[in-house]
Amino acid sequence: MIGFLTRRAGAAVAVLLILTAVVFVLQQYSPGDPVKAYLGANASPAAVAAERVTLHLDDPLVSRYGHYLSAAARGDLGTSYRTHRKVTADLGAFLPATFELVVVAFLFALLLGAVFAMLRTIAGTFVRGVLLVGATAPPFLLALGGIILFYAHLGWLPATGRGGNDDGFLLTHSLVTGDWAQFGDGLQHVVLPALVLAVAPAVSIGRILRASLQQTLSADHVRTARAKGLTEVAVFGRHVLRNSIGPGLSMAGLQLGFMFAGVVVVEQIFSWPGIGNYLAESIPAADYPAIAGVTVVLGAVYIVTNTVVDMIQALADPRIAL
Amino acid sequence: MIASVDDLHVSLRGNPVLRGVSLSVRPGEILGLVGESGSGKSVLALTLMGLLPPDAHPQVTGTVEVAGVDMMHGSAAAHRGVRRRELGVIFQDPMTSLNPTMRIGRQITEVTRDTDRAVQLLEHVGVADAAVRLRVYPHELSGGLRQRVMTAIAVAGRPSLIIADEPTTALDVTVQAQVLSLLRDLRDEYGCSVLFITHDLAVAAQITDRIGVLYAGRLAELGPTRELLAHPTHPYTAGLLRSRLSLTTPRGRELPTLPAEAGPRGPGCAYHTRCPLAVDRCATEQPPLVGDEHQRACWRDISDMPDGTSAAEPGELGPAVEGSAVVRLHNIRCDFKLRNGWRRAGTLKALDGVDLEVAPGEAVSIVGESGSGKSTLLRVIAGLIPPTGGTREVTGGTQMVFQDAGSSLTPWLTIGELLRERLLPLKLSRAEQDQRVRDALTKIGLPATVATARPRQLSGGQRQRVALARATIVPPAVLLCDEPTSALDASLAASVLNLIRQLRADLGMAVVFVTHDLAVARLMGDRIVVMTGGHIAETGPADDLVSHPQADYTKTLLAAVPEIAI
Amino acid sequence: MSDAAVVPRRFGVRSRTPAVHNLTLNRVLVGLLGLVTLVALGARLLAPDDPIQPVGDFNLPPGSPGHLLGTDMIGRDLLSRTLWGIQASWLSALAVVLVGLLFGGLIGLVAGAAGGWVDNVLMRLTDLFLALPGVLVAIAIVAALGPGLVHTLLGISIVWWPYYARIIRGEVRALAARPHVEAARLAGASRLRILRRHLLPGTVPTAIVTASLDIGNVVLLLAGLSFIGLGQLAPAPELGADTARALTQLLAQWWVPVVPGIAVMLLSLVANLGGDALRGLLDGRR
Repeated sequence: MIGFLTRRAGAAVAVLLILTAVVFVLQQYSPGDPVKAYLGANASPAAVAAERVTLHLDDPLVSRYGHYLSAAARGDLGTSYRTHRKVTADLGAFLPATFELVVVAFLFALLLGAVFAMLRTIAGTFVRGVLLVGATAPPFLLALGGIILFYAHLGWLPATGRGGNDDGFLLTHSLVTGDWAQFGDGLQHVVLPALVLAVAPAVSIGRILRASLQQTLSADHVRTARAKGLTEVAVFGRHVLRNSIGPGLSMAGLQLGFMFAGVVVVEQIFSWPGIGNYLAESIPAADYPAIAGVTVVLGAVYIVTNTVVDMIQALADPRIAL
Repeated sequence: MIASVDDLHVSLRGNPVLRGVSLSVRPGEILGLVGESGSGKSVLALTLMGLLPPDAHPQVTGTVEVAGVDMMHGSAAAHRGVRRRELGVIFQDPMTSLNPTMRIGRQITEVTRDTDRAVQLLEHVGVADAAVRLRVYPHELSGGLRQRVMTAIAVAGRPSLIIADEPTTALDVTVQAQVLSLLRDLRDEYGCSVLFITHDLAVAAQITDRIGVLYAGRLAELGPTRELLAHPTHPYTAGLLRSRLSLTTPRGRELPTLPAEAGPRGPGCAYHTRCPLAVDRCATEQPPLVGDEHQRACWRDISDMPDGTSAAEPGELGPAVEGSAVVRLHNIRCDFKLRNGWRRAGTLKALDGVDLEVAPGEAVSIVGESGSGKSTLLRVIAGLIPPTGGTREVTGGTQMVFQDAGSSLTPWLTIGELLRERLLPLKLSRAEQDQRVRDALTKIGLPATVATARPRQLSGGQRQRVALARATIVPPAVLLCDEPTSALDASLAASVLNLIRQLRADLGMAVVFVTHDLAVARLMGDRIVVMTGGHIAETGPADDLVSHPQADYTKTLLAAVPEIAI
Repeated sequence: MSDAAVVPRRFGVRSRTPAVHNLTLNRVLVGLLGLVTLVALGARLLAPDDPIQPVGDFNLPPGSPGHLLGTDMIGRDLLSRTLWGIQASWLSALAVVLVGLLFGGLIGLVAGAAGGWVDNVLMRLTDLFLALPGVLVAIAIVAALGPGLVHTLLGISIVWWPYYARIIRGEVRALAARPHVEAARLAGASRLRILRRHLLPGTVPTAIVTASLDIGNVVLLLAGLSFIGLGQLAPAPELGADTARALTQLLAQWWVPVVPGIAVMLLSLVANLGGDALRGLLDGRR
C-alpha cells in the first residue's frame, strides 16, 4: 500500500514536471507577447523592454523554468499577467466553483450511468435512448438546447451564474450552515450545467458497466449462486454487482479527469465563475503563469482521481494487489 | 424417486439437444450419465435445476420433477425452494464456479447461515485448518481444495440430490481419485443421491451404481454399472468400451477407433451412420428404450457385433534407430520470475535439473500432472524457451503439435498458406509447392480441397490433422506433441494417435509425446519419462514402467488411474 | 411448449444481448460513413452559395426561398456555411484519427511484438502521455501556437495516438500469447513475416472499429475547441466557431447558432452508428 502510494506520488511529480515544461517550452515559441497584455497595448517599447527584464522573460528558458519550479515548491505559482494577482489567489477564488460543479456533474454521471446500465423497464430504454443521442451532441449544443427549453420556454431554471454572490464553496457552505434558501437557489443554478457536463461521461460509464454486468451474469459462479437457491435479488446484489463494478469504476475515474478538462466550454456558456472560465480568458491574453497554474491543478486532480479509483478497485476485487 | 424426467425434449436456439429422455434417480444411488461433448448431458442437469439459460430461448416439453415439484411449470419461488432445500451442485471448473470476490466462508454460510457448521463442513470434506480457510478467497486455494469447497457448498443444505457435472475433469488424476472417494463417502453419510455426469466411462465405473449412456440427446443404454460394462447391449457402448485406451490396450497394433459421424441425422437412430450393425430400419425408425433393469435402445442384437480387434497391420513400433542422439539435454534448469503487479513475488522452478536423450526415430512419452514441468520441457527442446541453465543440443529440426489445434493455426490464413509457409526455405516453384501441399493433405487423410479452407471451417479432429500435416510436410528429426488429443472426444483421439504413429513409422522421426494420461503415454512411447515438480521421477521402457513402477510417485500415479475392472 | 423452466430475470440486464446481425441495416449504416465523406469532399459542388460572402438578408429563418437553412447575422447562406463546415470538421477528424492510428498503431505493434525492454520503454512512454489530461494538453498547445485549424489538429494529434498504441499493443499481446504465433516461429517464419502475416491481420478489425467510433470523439473535441476560439479563424466556416459567434442571438434567432451545432451532432451520430455497425459486420464474420 505504502509502496503503491510512493510510486504514484513519483509518477505524479513526473507528470506535473512534464506538463509545466510543455507550457514553458510552448511559451518560448508563442507568437503573443505577454508583456503587451500586462502593460496594455499603448505601452512604450522602453517600458516593455524594462518589464521583460523585471519578469525575467529574456532569461534562458532553463533558468526561468528552474525559478518557476523552486517557487512552485514553496507554494508560489507566480503572478498573473492579466489580473496582476497571485495565481494561487486566483485559483483559490475560482477553483471552488468548478469543484462544486464537477462534483455535482459526477454524481449525475454515476446515477445516469447506473440507470443506463441496469434499468430494464421501458423507462430504462427511454433514458438510454435520450442519453445515447445526447452523448453524440456537442456540449455547447446541449447547453443551448437546455437554455432554450428550461430558461426561455419553461422558465424553470436560470441560464447563467451560480446564484448568490458567494464565490467560495457556495453549495457546501449553505448546506452546512442550513441556509436552505441559498442552497435551493444554488442547486437550481447548478442543475443545467452539471447535466450538460454529465451526459457524455454517463454514457461511457453506463456502456462499460453494462457490458461488464452482461459478462458477469453469464459467469459460472453466478450459475452456482442460482443453484444455491438464492433469490434473484441476492444473486444480483452479492454475486454480480461487486464483480462487475471494476471496469465501471476505472471508466468513472477516467471520465472525472475528462470532466475537469471539459468544464471549460460549459463554464463559458453558463458564465460559471470557475477555473475553466479563468483559463479561457487567460489563453487569448497569453497569461502563461495562469495557464501553467491551471494545468498544474487539473493535472494533480487527474492523478489523485486515478489513484483513488485504483484503490477502490483493489478493495472491490481481492485478486488485484496494489 | 428423488428426481425424474419423462419424455424430455429440450431445444436451445432452435436446435434439439435432448430428444426424448426418460430417467429417474433413485434414493441413495449414484447414477452416472456418460456421453461425448454435445450429447446433452449438461443440459439435462440444468433442466433438473430449472436453470436453462434464457438467452438460448429454451423450448421444453415432457415432465421434469425433483422432490415432487414440477420444475417446468409452477412458480420461480417454488423452483428456488427446490434448489435451496433439495439440490446441491458441483460444476466442472471450481475456479470459475466459485465467486472470486467473496471469501469462501461467506459462500458457504450463504447456504448454512451458520459459521460453526461451515467449519464442520470444510473439515468434513477434508480441508485442513478449516477455521482459517474460511477467510481466504478462491484464488488462494489449489484446484483440488477449490473442488472440495465446492463440494462442501453442495452438501451444505443437506440436499436429497447432488448434481455433479464433470466434477473431476479439470483436476489432476491423483486429485480426481480423492474427490471421487469424497463424493462416495458423502453419499454414504448423508444418504443422498448423486447424478454424476462425465465423458469418461472409466471414471463413472469408479463410483456409480447405475450408468446411463447418452448419445445425441437420447439414452442409448441404461443399466447397473457392473452389468452394463461387462455386457454392453448397445453398439455405441460396446464401441466406447472397445476404443477406450487403457493400461492393458495392446501396444503393437493399430488402436481401435470408432468411425466418425457422417451425413445429416435423419428420423432414425442417430448412431446409425457410425454403427457396424446398422440396417435400413435404423435410418428410418427411432428405436425405443426397452427393458426392465437393463434398458437399451437398439433394433439389432449385440451378439452380431463384429469382433473389434482390427486385423490391420501391426503399428511398427520398432526399436529406436542406432546412432547419436537427436536431442541431448543435460541438467536443464528453467526459472520463471513470478510477478505480482510490479513486485517480484519469487521464482518458480519449472525445471530443476533435467537430463534427457532421445535417439533418432525413438518415441519418448513424458507424463506428469499439471505443474510438473512437462510442457516447459517440450518448449525447451523446441527452442521456444531458453533454459536458465544446463546444456541443450538438438540436431535436425523440431516441429510441434499443440494441445489446441484450433488456436495453433492462424485463424485468418488458409490451410494452404499455413502449409506453404513451411516450404518457403526450400525455394520451390509454385506448382511444386502446391503438389507438396496436396500430398501432405492426402497423407493425413483429408481431401486436397481443404487447402483453401480456413481453420474455423474444420472440425476439431480435422484441425489436429492439419496441424500434423504442417509439422511433417518437411519431416523434422523430432516431432514434439503437447497433449494433442486431450481436447478431443475419446473416439476421435484414438484416430489422431494412430495417425501420429503412422507418420512416425513412415518418416522415421523421433517423437516426444507429452501427456497427463499414463495409458496414452504407454501406447505412444517406447520409453516413458515420469515428471513431477520440475524433475524426472522415473524413466524406463513403457511396459516395464507400467507393470513394475519403481518410484513412489509413479506408483501413486498408477494407482489413481481409473480403470474398468470387470 | 413452455419456457417456465427458466429463471425470470427482473434485475440486471440480459446475460447476453441476442446477436442482432441485421446485415442490411449494418451495411446501410456503414455506407453512411462513406456518404458523409463524399459530402465533405464535395462541399464545393453541393454548396449553393459562397460560404464567406453575404448573399441575402440578415437572419432569414430556415425554409426561406433560396436559403433552405436560412441566413446568419450578416446574410451568409447557412446551408453553404454548414456544408463547408462539415468538410472542415469531418476531414480534420479523419486526419487526426488516421495519424493516431498509424503512429499509435506502429508503436503498439512494435511494443507488443517485441516484448521485453522495447515493450517496457515504449509503454512507459505511452503511459506518460496517457497520464496527461489529453484535452488540456491540446488546449495548452493550441493556446501557445495560436489559434488556427492546423495548430488545433497538431495539438489533438499529439495527445491522440497513445490510445491507439495501448489498444493495438493489447491486441498484439493477446495474439502473441496464442499458440499460433509459437507455431509460426517453429514453422520457420521470420520475425518480420510473423509480424506481417500472423499478428498484424488480427489487429485490423479492432483498429478499424475503434478508429471509426473515434471519429465522432474528434469531431466533438474539434467543435468544442473551436467553440472556445481555438480552431478555424474567422471568417472561414467552422461549425463550433459559428455556434459560438452566434451565441448572443440564441433567444432571438435560435437557428443561427443551433444549425451548425446540429450538424456537429449529426456527424458524431453517423460516426457512432457507423462504427457500431462496422463492429457488428466484423463480429458476424468471425
